[in-house]
Amino acid sequence: MPTDEQIFDKICELLKPYNVKNKPILRASGIMSDLEVDSTAVFDLIMELEDHYDISIPMEVISDVKTVGELVNAIQDLLNS
Amino acid sequence: MSGPKSTADGEKVAASGLSIFSKYDPLKQRVDVVKKLGVDPFDMTFDDIMSATRGRIGNREIILAGTNNYLGLTFDPSTRASAKDAIDRHGTGTTGSRIANGTYVEHEQLERDLAAHLGKPSCIVFTTGYVTNLAAMAGLAGPNDVIFIDADAHACIIDGTRLAGTTTVRFRHNNPADLDKRLARQKIPEGGHALVVIEGLYSMFGDIAPIDEFVAVAHKHGAYLYVDEAHSYGVFGETGAGIAEEQGVLDKIDFYSGTFSKSLASVGGFCASRHPEFELLRKVMRPYMFTASAAPSNICAAQAALDAIKTRPELRHNIMARAAQLHAGLSDMGFELCAPASPVIAVRRDNEVQAAMEWNWLLQEGVYVNLAVPPGTPESSSLLRISVSAAHTEEDVNAILSRFKALKDNGDDIIAEMMRRMQASA
Ligand SMILES: Cc1ncc(COP(=O)(O)O)c(C=O)c1O
Repeated sequence: MPTDEQIFDKICELLKPYNVKNKPILRASGIMSDLEVDSTAVFDLIMELEDHYDISIPMEVISDVKTVGELVNAIQDLLNS
Repeated sequence: MSGPKSTADGEKVAASGLSIFSKYDPLKQRVDVVKKLGVDPFDMTFDDIMSATRGRIGNREIILAGTNNYLGLTFDPSTRASAKDAIDRHGTGTTGSRIANGTYVEHEQLERDLAAHLGKPSCIVFTTGYVTNLAAMAGLAGPNDVIFIDADAHACIIDGTRLAGTTTVRFRHNNPADLDKRLARQKIPEGGHALVVIEGLYSMFGDIAPIDEFVAVAHKHGAYLYVDEAHSYGVFGETGAGIAEEQGVLDKIDFYSGTFSKSLASVGGFCASRHPEFELLRKVMRPYMFTASAAPSNICAAQAALDAIKTRPELRHNIMARAAQLHAGLSDMGFELCAPASPVIAVRRDNEVQAAMEWNWLLQEGVYVNLAVPPGTPESSSLLRISVSAAHTEEDVNAILSRFKALKDNGDDIIAEMMRRMQASA
């Protein structure tokens, strides 16, 4: 089971190509609001995370996720369920 | 200063000074930039539309190359006569929904004829194509069902999943192997089913789905396959029944949706099914039950267009010939095109500002295409999107090509001139 820290690092790595302005990625960073990742790109990132962890992250789960930290938590929850 | 404020007549104003519209400030900034270029691509008006391929703005005649009027039937004598006759016989509107007073014999006749054309026992006609997908998807998928949608799904399919309110999983665009993997991964709740939703011809890039492979994957997992052929019905297939017909799997499609607003030259939508029980959904689909039905003139125009689709295969030959001509011409010039030749040809540009400037210049030079920019475009791309019509002549396509040639040869000058104009109006 990956640790919280490992999930955060993985998200940072996958976010890199979408973070065009190269802003610092914090747990509190808003994925769309601060990092300026557009909605289509967020869903593409989600597919990569689904494949990496072999889990399904339904779209309605994502609509509640605003920050990087919330995404880490959502993945934790899905891995534990 | 803090606490609530009021206007002179006692209307309370938020302490923050923000209004209900403030969340759109970033959007307003983008719109303002685009407006300085000339015409707002998302808020423009034609002073006249004279034919399926010609419009007018001021005293400038415009070649229409972005209207999804694939078969060019909006001005066909048969569709116009049929619509006028419907108005004379039944008036201008139904003033009621399909479940009240809004179902006329013509609505039912069109349903029977579309069902027959698609070889399905059931077909339901809706007020628009957008409403069709909302209604059918939300009617089909209940709380225990899971919807799988293509990553490039049209807005109305995404909104369909929202109205359905069920678990929704997205798979990689046009990738049946990826769907296979996600269907295997996703747990379907007890008593639930999977509904896979794809399109035939994708409206932005103009690329075509391997529907035959999707049928195999969906049915292997016991999932139902829903195909939106909005852009391909009437255009592809031996009898015009779309890409599913062309790929030999029309009879395997569980749900087949389409619109009247493209090859059928009208306004409205339809969904046909190989499952006769689909008829029962007329009693539950809220976007079917609680909106007025399509006007008699719209229904009768679509009926005449359907007759043309069945009896005039030359329309399909024309559009494919023009699409091939335009696609070859643009790729010879070195433009990056998003897919092989089809009636939708998307020219990829470097960024939103370049695309918006070129769009304005093309309009100034008498060619209307669509501007497509992020968010919402595949790969966050900025596109000049062209849709070809059977009514375009070889000369029309040459005229479109000549403008793109100028864009290719003098692109830098054109952009510089647009920039100057923008600064002048700043
Ligand atoms: C794939 C797709 N489905 C449905 C629609 C909606 O059709 P209508 O214009 O009839 O609402 C469109 C049109 O924009 C479309 O591109």
